[in-house]
Amino acid sequence: MDWLEQELKNALSRKEPLEGFDERVAAAARRPRVVAMPARRWLAAAAAVIVLVGAGEGYRWHRGEVAKQQVMLAMRITGEKLSFVQARIAGEGQ
Amino acid sequence: MTTMRAVAVGCGMAALLWAQQFKFNLDHLASKASDSVDVSLNKDMLQFAGKFLSGKDPDEAKAKALIGGLEGIYIKSFEFNKDGAWSQADLDQVRNQLRAPEWGRIVGVKSTEENENVEVWVRNEAGKVSGIAILATDPRSFTVANIVGNVSLDSLADLGGQFGLPKVKTAPTPAPAPAPAKKREP
Repeated sequence: MDWLEQELKNALSRKEPLEGFDERVAAAARRPRVVAMPARRWLAAAAAVIVLVGAGEGYRWHRGEVAKQQVMLAMRITGEKLSFVQARIAGEGQ
Repeated sequence: MTTMRAVAVGCGMAALLWAQQFKFNLDHLASKASDSVDVSLNKDMLQFAGKFLSGKDPDEAKAKALIGGLEGIYIKSFEFNKDGAWSQADLDQVRNQLRAPEWGRIVGVKSTEENENVEVWVRNEAGKVSGIAILATDPRSFTVANIVGNVSLDSLADLGGQFGLPKVKTAPTPAPAPAPAKKREP
């Protein structure tokens, strides 16, 4: 047996754990795990929320603009017809 | 599933007709039209649109003030490339729904020069104007509008002067038709 084998045998030989090892392992297993969320995940989640809120707001703005255009178109059509009527009535009155 | 869908569609149509004061039934004209406009805005949509109308732009400010008291605006307007695309029956099926005592025609203008006819009908409920109907036709266009809500005739007269159109002064209330003049005896 050369010196290397002897060193390995010593290093890998069975050693008794310190007193209270079992209890410490069991207590550690019972403790709830706190998984720290990496910053990259936080950023991705925040970006997703911003995109969703932005898309929702954009859609709301688009619907509002369409509704506004419809109101203006309705007013223009109604105004044209009433103006025609008013012009005819005014013409008749003269 | 089909029954539920039919019920949902029926409820939707009922809600639409409840807001709209008469049926249009003019979808068959859309396929013939070269240009068509379909505006359907209930009270919620009008309020929503009102938030996007600017108080600084004069036209938008006027529109914003007008839609404040409205329950809905419903318009169907078609333009055609040739004469005779719409029939008298199309006009009659709309006009026949505008019956007394609720509806009364306040003015009808027939232009022989431009071959254009416009009728304005007003709906009265409990002594208040609760809606207005406009039927406007010429050989190449057909427009029906229903403005639902308490619209004052003054507001309507104002409407005619907006949107780049010249304002024409009219009498505030229509005068009763004069009695026929008696013929003088020679």
